[in-house]
Amino acid sequence: MNNQSKLENVNVTTLKNEKHAKASEAAALLKQRKLKKAGLFALFVGPAFLAFALIVLIPFFTGMYYAFTDWNGVTGNVKWVGLDNFTYLFTEDKQFQASFWLTLRYTVVAIILTNAVGFGLALLVTRMLKTRNILRTVFFLPNLIGGLLLGFIWQFIFIKGFASVGQLTGLSFFQLPWLGDEKTAFWGIVIVSVWQGAGYIMLIYTAALQNVPQELLEAAKIDGANRWQTLRHITLPMVAPAVTVCLFLTISSSFKIFDVNLSLTNGGPFKATEMLALNIYTEAFVNNRYGLGEAKALVFFIVVALITVIQVTYTKRKEIES
Amino acid sequence: MKKFPFAAGVLSLSLLVTAGCGNDKTTGEKTDTAGGKVVVDIFQGKVEIADQLKALTEQYTKEHPEVTFNLQTVGGGADGASALKAKFASGSAPDIFTIEGYQSTLTWKDKLEDLSDQPWVKDAYESALKPTTLDGKIYGQPANLEGYGFAYNKELFKKAGITELPKTMAQLEEAAKKLKAAGITPFSVGYAEWWVLGNHGLNIAFATQKDPDAFIQGLNAGTSKIEGNEQFKKYLGLLDLTVKYGNANPLTTDYNTQVTLFASGEAAMIQQGNWIQPMLDKLQPNMDVGFIPMPLSDDPATADKLAVDVPNSWVVHNGAPDADKKAAKDFLNWLVTSEAGKKAMVEDFKYIPAFKTIEAKESDIGPLGAELVKYSKEGKTFSWQFAKYPDGAGQQFGATLQTYVSEKASEEETLKALDATWVKLKK
Amino acid sequence: MENKYTGKLFILEIAAILIGLVFLVPFYYVVSNSLKSFSEILMNTSALPSVLQFQNYVNAFQQMDYLKVFMNSLMITVASNILIVVFCSMAAYMLVRTKKKISNIIFMTFVAAMVIPFQSIMIPLVKVAGNFGLLNSIWGLVFMYLGFGSGMAIFLYHGFMKGIPVELEEAAIIDGCTPFGVFWRIVFPLLKPITVTIVILNSLWIWNDFLLPMLVLQDPELRTIPLATFFFFGQYTKQWDLALAALVISIIPLLIFFFSMQKHIIKGITSGSIK
Repeated sequence: MNNQSKLENVNVTTLKNEKHAKASEAAALLKQRKLKKAGLFALFVGPAFLAFALIVLIPFFTGMYYAFTDWNGVTGNVKWVGLDNFTYLFTEDKQFQASFWLTLRYTVVAIILTNAVGFGLALLVTRMLKTRNILRTVFFLPNLIGGLLLGFIWQFIFIKGFASVGQLTGLSFFQLPWLGDEKTAFWGIVIVSVWQGAGYIMLIYTAALQNVPQELLEAAKIDGANRWQTLRHITLPMVAPAVTVCLFLTISSSFKIFDVNLSLTNGGPFKATEMLALNIYTEAFVNNRYGLGEAKALVFFIVVALITVIQVTYTKRKEIES
Repeated sequence: MKKFPFAAGVLSLSLLVTAGCGNDKTTGEKTDTAGGKVVVDIFQGKVEIADQLKALTEQYTKEHPEVTFNLQTVGGGADGASALKAKFASGSAPDIFTIEGYQSTLTWKDKLEDLSDQPWVKDAYESALKPTTLDGKIYGQPANLEGYGFAYNKELFKKAGITELPKTMAQLEEAAKKLKAAGITPFSVGYAEWWVLGNHGLNIAFATQKDPDAFIQGLNAGTSKIEGNEQFKKYLGLLDLTVKYGNANPLTTDYNTQVTLFASGEAAMIQQGNWIQPMLDKLQPNMDVGFIPMPLSDDPATADKLAVDVPNSWVVHNGAPDADKKAAKDFLNWLVTSEAGKKAMVEDFKYIPAFKTIEAKESDIGPLGAELVKYSKEGKTFSWQFAKYPDGAGQQFGATLQTYVSEKASEEETLKALDATWVKLKK
Repeated sequence: MENKYTGKLFILEIAAILIGLVFLVPFYYVVSNSLKSFSEILMNTSALPSVLQFQNYVNAFQQMDYLKVFMNSLMITVASNILIVVFCSMAAYMLVRTKKKISNIIFMTFVAAMVIPFQSIMIPLVKVAGNFGLLNSIWGLVFMYLGFGSGMAIFLYHGFMKGIPVELEEAAIIDGCTPFGVFWRIVFPLLKPITVTIVILNSLWIWNDFLLPMLVLQDPELRTIPLATFFFFGQYTKQWDLALAALVISIIPLLIFFFSMQKHIIKGITSGSIK
């Protein structure tokens, strides 16, 4: 390590000082520097990438191989079936298609609500409220409970709690057959995930909002801008990077929703709320059609990756513009 | 701060080293049989017996010091089957695990040791061996028996003036009317659970076919159909009856709520099995309960039956080292032949034994268990055909029947959808 | 933002507290039911407990072997966080500072992989893990968390790192700092706010994770808190009285952690003066 750093010192200083050195010497140095840079790059990026490749990439590609087979997840027989699984998905598997649209619908709703509520909460807790520290914790509290347990607890609330509130107040909202039909089950999942996700997103927006320079806001006030104009033209552009991050996080977590889906509704009633991740899981581990499940996962991955890449590139460009 | 890269290097190095050790350990476990010592890995999903089973394995180790156990129990809320598959994929397959039988015997058959020559085979009820019998070979040791029907509250029946227990569909409706008139909800229906409908409910229609196996083979071959079959129509009729005389919001009533309704005395009947006994004991100790059948006909001779079968069987992994396999088989044999094993099975596990040689007392298995034993001894049972469904069909059937209950699908559409599911999921 | 506490702010405060109360409703259910007997939970879910059953906590504590599972969870969470923070901040730094195509490709790979559903890779994952001897050991699990956590951590570090001016580093290089020195002395301290955020997010995830430890840890001695909690859930009967008490005692450490950490986020952000 010491040798290396000395080398680097020499390297840097020589480069800085001897600008008029001979061309060949400079070229040799340049090559050496390049090599060293590559080594340094590997040293910094290597460990994380190694773990990532071993734990995520290799299993991912192995899994993709099974997408072209009829493996059942247990036996040694793995038969190559080419694109059969994919043809089946797009032509015959109505449940997959239904799950796909459902997940898209859910994702749009969840992204909008989670970000809106999260941003609203962030605005609240960055005001000079006396209780802001407590509130910040309260809003974040839902994240402390793991997904599966969360679903079970909310089941209690929807089925028992809402019913008792309904009896007490007579409000029709609480007397709906919660989780018992498509609509209430769908919104039940939305409510739980917004309740949990908003605090998470709030945390990131809070950090960004604290970063908006006070002087800018004061200046806007002096210029006669109202609250909405300040928010629209000063605050929002300043927190644009946070928006990119939050959008990305909510998109990927909404698409991947599994725990809450499984424990709150288990896809029911009548499979009306079976989102994609649960559909994939059921296909692979309940129906014992592992190959088909992997084919679904591959389609799912491509679609979500495309959407998120488009989103990240788009909002990043926006950031630069503003 | 300067020490940091160094620390990081050491950290990753130590990671590799410990990882290496981990590897040695797992392979070591498999090879340490050479010294005469054997470690048997058991994987099971019933947390209710986790502690009791552990105690039992420890007792076995005391008697056989060369055999020790590594017991892994997976808690509920997660699917034990996927964890088991993961174990096989990772190369650390257990020596003993459980499967449900029938369809899953077929799925796992490559991995199962033939247990036909085991001494306990002759002691088991013949029907209890069926789930794990394939091509004349027996692959599993039945863990226990479970059964279901309509469990009923004897006190409420008395209160409503029902003197004769309903054994047919017409009598059941009669009883429901009487209960309702007495201000009691006749049925506690929990149709939020797919398995109450798709497995246990629909099973009655499969099991009451003239020849259930032939019918199922017909479904696989495309020669028989659910649509147009009398029993399925009748089952939907029974379903209508329970919904008509059941609690409000059947589709939001989950298992917990369903059992609570029954235990609290709000409802008089419940379509569940003897597994509700521990929960009843907690909610309403000493509740006077029994079973009546789920009748699909008006002929008491054919209708008066309960669905009793083996929910899980112990199986041995055929890829395990010979010493492990031998130890595993010896342990399973000890489990059902030794006095200690027999005693633990009924007194600690509270299991209804699947063996003729093991006697269960009502004080151990509760009134519901005792009633099942009585029906079994009289031969008034039918089996769990839902274990023969194609993988995943039970869930889909449950979903289809939920649609029917919510009145979003007609009888005809429902039966058609059941057929379509079978065709889609059969292999 | 405001200098004095106005009436408008007071109304806002009331509104905020009301929203906060709505957020707390599920916790009312958790805490009040954790103090009821099993039958009371099912019969009177919404009511306050009639008799406080502190015994639930004692039973849950003993049955899940709380101290042991707590230490396991703690060790896994702390070690994973250290690895993730150390290696991912380094990686993100290099990826931001090296303006090459390869950096972009690697970064996009990390990001794209975040959308892979875990369920679709778990079987191949345990296969790989079995081959590399990562199973049934806490360190194997920690290594896996590094793999799974790297995408998100690098994504967040990457975004944050761009706001740090290069001039600072160049000055340090001229002063004779090694690249490691530059990173750990100059850059890493500036990353504190985002580091705290990453640590919080990772801790929540790892502390509560159920599926991965279930697949990886076979030895009951290595059991984590979620694994122990799920022991209260049988195939049919869920022992809510014990499970909810277990949930409360497993959340409390996280809560304390979050309380102590959140000060750092705010402090870090205001004093770090990053622009």
